[in-house]
Order: sequence, then C-alpha cells, then structure tokens
Amino acid sequence: MLQVTDVQRTFKSGDTTVTAVGGVNFKIPEGKFASIVGQSGSGKTTLLSLLGGLDKPTSGSIEVDGQDITKMHDHQLIGYRCRKIGFVFQQYNLVPNLTAIENVMLPMEFAKVPVAKRQARAKELLAQVELSEDQMKRKPGRLSGGQQQRVAIARALANSPALILADEPTGNLDSQTGKMIFDLLHSLSRSQNTTIVVVTHDLSIAGKTDKVFRLKDGKLVR
Amino acid sequence: MNVITRGIRNAFRNMIRTLSITVILGLSIGLSLVMLIANQAVANKIASVKASIGNTISISPAGFTPGSSANNALTTNELNSVKTIAHVTNLTEVLTDRLHNANATLPSRFPFDNTSSNGNNTTSLSSPIKLNVNRGGNGPRIFINGGGNLPSNFSLPVSIIGTTDPSNVNSNAITITSGSTIDAGKSTHNALVSTSMAAKNDMKVGSTFTAYGTTLTVKGIFTGDSTSAVANDVIVSLPTEQQLSGQTGVVTGAVATVDSIDNLDATTTAIQNKLGSAANVTNAVTEANNTISPLNSVKTITLYSLIGAVAAGSMIILMTMVMIVRERRREIGVIKAIGASNLRVMTQFMAESVTFTLLGAVVGIIGGVLAGNPITKLLVSNSTNAGARGPGGGFRHGGGFGPGHAFASFHSGIANISASIGWDIILYGLAAAVIIALIGSALASFFIAKIRPAEVMRAE
Repeated sequence: MLQVTDVQRTFKSGDTTVTAVGGVNFKIPEGKFASIVGQSGSGKTTLLSLLGGLDKPTSGSIEVDGQDITKMHDHQLIGYRCRKIGFVFQQYNLVPNLTAIENVMLPMEFAKVPVAKRQARAKELLAQVELSEDQMKRKPGRLSGGQQQRVAIARALANSPALILADEPTGNLDSQTGKMIFDLLHSLSRSQNTTIVVVTHDLSIAGKTDKVFRLKDGKLVR
Repeated sequence: MNVITRGIRNAFRNMIRTLSITVILGLSIGLSLVMLIANQAVANKIASVKASIGNTISISPAGFTPGSSANNALTTNELNSVKTIAHVTNLTEVLTDRLHNANATLPSRFPFDNTSSNGNNTTSLSSPIKLNVNRGGNGPRIFINGGGNLPSNFSLPVSIIGTTDPSNVNSNAITITSGSTIDAGKSTHNALVSTSMAAKNDMKVGSTFTAYGTTLTVKGIFTGDSTSAVANDVIVSLPTEQQLSGQTGVVTGAVATVDSIDNLDATTTAIQNKLGSAANVTNAVTEANNTISPLNSVKTITLYSLIGAVAAGSMIILMTMVMIVRERRREIGVIKAIGASNLRVMTQFMAESVTFTLLGAVVGIIGGVLAGNPITKLLVSNSTNAGARGPGGGFRHGGGFGPGHAFASFHSGIANISASIGWDIILYGLAAAVIIALIGSALASFFIAKIRPAEVMRAE
C-alpha cells in the first residue's frame, strides 16, 4: 500500500519560491497499476522522486508498506531504495560495461544477496521478461531498446520491491515495443503483486492502468 | 562480481584512455623512482664521504701547486711552532721533488722544473708509468701541441718524497712488501721504492740507484692503498731529501693530526693564524664540504623533482578521475537510485583509480629500475664536472702534496657513484602509486558524494 498525504515540495529560486508539488493526496492499494499523467513541468518527475526516496518533501508524508519514508535518515533511505523500490527509466540507464545478467544482479549485490542466489534470481527474472540465454550475456550496447528496457524492468524487480516507479518507460520505444513493455509491466503487477506507478504523457497507455492521477501545476486534478 | 572487481573492470572500459593514462602515470612514477634512487644514492655518498673525513689538517705553502717550484716553501722551523698548538697530536712534514732519468730525453716545453738548489735533478731510475700520447689508450696521457710523439727514450720524471712519516704518503697507507722501512728522522742514503718501480728497474732490497748524483740503497719495497697512485714514487726521509736536494730546512707540505674531529676547525684557524699568509691551511671537512656541494645540489634537485613527479602523477589521476566521474554522472546517479551508498560508489571509483596507478606503477617501476643508475650517474657526473674544479687538479704524477691530494681522492670518490635498487625501492614505487591513487580519487569522491540521483531523474 502506498499512501501519499498532503505532500508538498517547494524550491527556492532566488527570492521566489516555486511549488513543484503542492499538497498531493492519493492512495494506491498493493498490487495495483497506477499512472500519473500531466504535461511537461507539471511535477510528475518530482513526485516520482519523492515516492522513490530520492528527494524529501517540504511537508506531508509518504507511507510505503506502513513506513513513513519522509521521516527516514539518508542511510535508511538507501536501504529503502534498495529493498522497497524498483526504478525503470525512460533511457533504460543500464551500466554499459556490465552484461544484462550483471545489471540485474547489481541491486541484489547492494542488498547483500549471496552470489549464487543473485545469479539464479537474475536468470529467472530475465527469462521472465523473455530474454534468451545468449542475450543475458550481452552488454546493453548489443541489445535493442526494447530488450534494454526489459533488462531494466528485470533489474527493478530484482529485490522483489513493494513499489516499482517507472518514468516514461515507453517514451524511447516505438509504439509496438512500447505496448509490449506496458503489457509486461501490467502482467508483472498481477503476477508479482507489486504496486507499479508509471509516469507518462501517453494517455492511451494511462487509460489502461488501474488508476490514473492527473497532475497540473503540481496538484492533482480530476 | 563485487564493487572492487567492477572498479577494476571499469578501468579497462576505454582501452585508448587506459593506455594513455598508464603511459603518462608510468612516466610520472618512473621519474619519481629515478629521483628517489638518485636521492638515496647521493645521500648515501654524502654520508660515506662525511664518514671518511679524517681529523687531519693539510698545510701547504701559499700559492703552491703540486709539481711547481717550492720557491715560497715553508720551513721546518715555521712548522715547529705548529706542533705546540693545542690539540695537534702529530705533524708529518714532506718535501717533494721530481727527478728525470739522466739518459732520457724530455720533449721541448715538457712541464718539468728543476726545484733543487744543486741543479742536478737526475736519477738512474726509469719511471714505470707509460704515458699515452695525444689521448690514445687508457691510463695517464699527455697531449703534445701540434701532434708528434714523445722521444723514444722518454721516461716520465719520478717523484721523490722526503717525509717524516714513511708509513703514509699522499694519503696512501704504505705497506712494505719486501725489506724494511727507513729511519724517517735521520739523513741516510736509504730509500723505499714502489713495487712497480722496482720491477721496472730490476731492483730488489739492497740494490742501488742514483738521485741528485748520489747513490741510494733500496731498503724496502712498498705498495700503497692505491698501487697506481704510488707507482712512480721513491720515499726517503725528510732530512735525506733536504740534504740531497740542497733545500735544508725546507718543506713543501705538512699534515697536522688533531686529537678530535670536533677541534678540527678551531685548530685549523689557530694554525692559519700562526703561519699567516705564508701558508694555505685547510682541513678535510672544508675540502669535503666543497667537494660534496655539487652532490648536495643533486640531492636538492632530486628531492624537488621527486615531489614534483608525485604531484604531477597525483594531478594526472585526479583530473582523469574527475573527468571520468563527470562523464559517468548519470550512471552514478542511477547506481545510487537503485540502492548503492556513497561509500560503495567511491570504493568502486577508488578501485578504478588504484588499477590505473598500479598499471602505471608497473611501467614506472620497470623504467625506474632500468634508468635509475644511469640517470644518477649522469646527474652526479654533470654536477661534479660543472662544480668541482679546485686546487690540486691536473697531472698528479709530478709528486705534489697537500690539499690537492685529499681533494682529488674525495672528487674521484664522488664521481664514482652507484645507485642500489632493492625491494624497498619497488615497495616505495607501489606505495607512491597507492598514495597517488588515493589523492587522485579524493576530489572525484567529493563529486560522487555531491551527485543526487533525483537530478538524474530530472534530466530524463
């Protein structure tokens, strides 16, 4: 369960205060697939950063699995990001000199999972996102955009997180591959019972999610 | 794969860059090692020169150069006053001269002077020293202006040394190999000849030869610390030489021994004050300091170069790592976002930095070990050639005495430097590499700590 209560994030810009996220409230039950839509500059990415513990809100609370992450210290946030959150980025952001399987093993290394377990879990996840044995040993440069995004999704799932945050996961892909990735995320939310929040401006994709939040000028609108 | 392995692997991400950094760091570490090797070798040499300084003071007539006429020589009477100076425990007096073979022909303008007052500087002895003409061959050489050769019956003038201490001549400890020594206090017609001289002239103990028209008997045959340095020498007692050369009471040099090295400078001043401007009074400390001053310069240069090379290496790796961190800013942000701590990311970059420097260290250590000795010799050779020209230089077989000899021995000693390269040097090299790596990654680590993953997401 993800519960966001009256979250506000402001930035100082010279003498003026800019409100990136202003008093947002929402709740997403466990295992649901939600999307946040809005125009560029509406505060989508800032909200995603707050949910992922990459940034701290000016006020309000964010509860993930009953834990208020706004009260966590920096070192606790590192643990939270490692075990509770999975990130999927628009640019995939895989480590270029690591193979697909090594990229998936990376979060598990940070979570101190033993090597043998890491390897088995990474293989299992990559197989789940339909990567062949040969593709698992390739570095990102030798994989297509869709394959890279699938590796990124497998990496996000590595530590069985409570919440997967995806920032424009289909933004860099053609429509067919984008649809495939979206379907994959959708099926994962069902099979793994993982809450997924996707930031997108593609309304056709957003329309297929369990919940849609529209963000305008940092505030949720109906 | 762990954080260290990943760091090491990252070092090989761009082979051209890795190769360039390795070569540049190798040069820097190699130069550091060469400078360290040179610095240690020079420091050891300075220490050994200082350790070899004896507690003796050289006294020579003012303006006297070895082999020249002793027209301003000191006298035994003057030197007797030195014996009474506090801390002087012994005084060795010497009168030197050169004798040419009566049957040999000297080339015109040969640098030979007739110092005796009886005008008969001849001997029946032939010198065992063979001079090489016009830079040919090894050993002593003579250059004849306009070319040409020495006369076929040429023999180098021999040195005759009258001394009050026949056990030590021209800073060489004398060992009698055959016969016995002479009575240094009496005027007798006995002499000691070098083993080379005896062999050249087919002499043994009891043989006779002439000097200044007088027949002398070989009482003993000797060799010195340096066989070649004493090869051309004949030793007689001081009274004998004074009587034979007709220079009664005259000495061309003396060596005063002081009870302690601590009193050396004060006693030198006291002797100089006693003898006034008639004498040059120097001690081994002054001479050694003059001689090692070029070494001190080399030591300073190598120290600064060592610091400079380590600093340059650190700067190279520092700038490289900063560049790499800037280049991989997004990657660092993502790694942090998926759960890596600052420390973990820093460790990964440090491993990369250490890998670069260890690669550079391998190249540098090989280069440093190979170049250390030749460069040390070159530095010392250039420095001593430029800085060490002093009294007593030049042709030594003329039988000179005084500070020139002590100086010459120091000078020849410092040019003969050898750098030793042991495991400690290699360990220093590796330690320097690790220090360079740690300094080099410090700023990079600071930048890593400053990268906020939220910024990476915002840049999406």
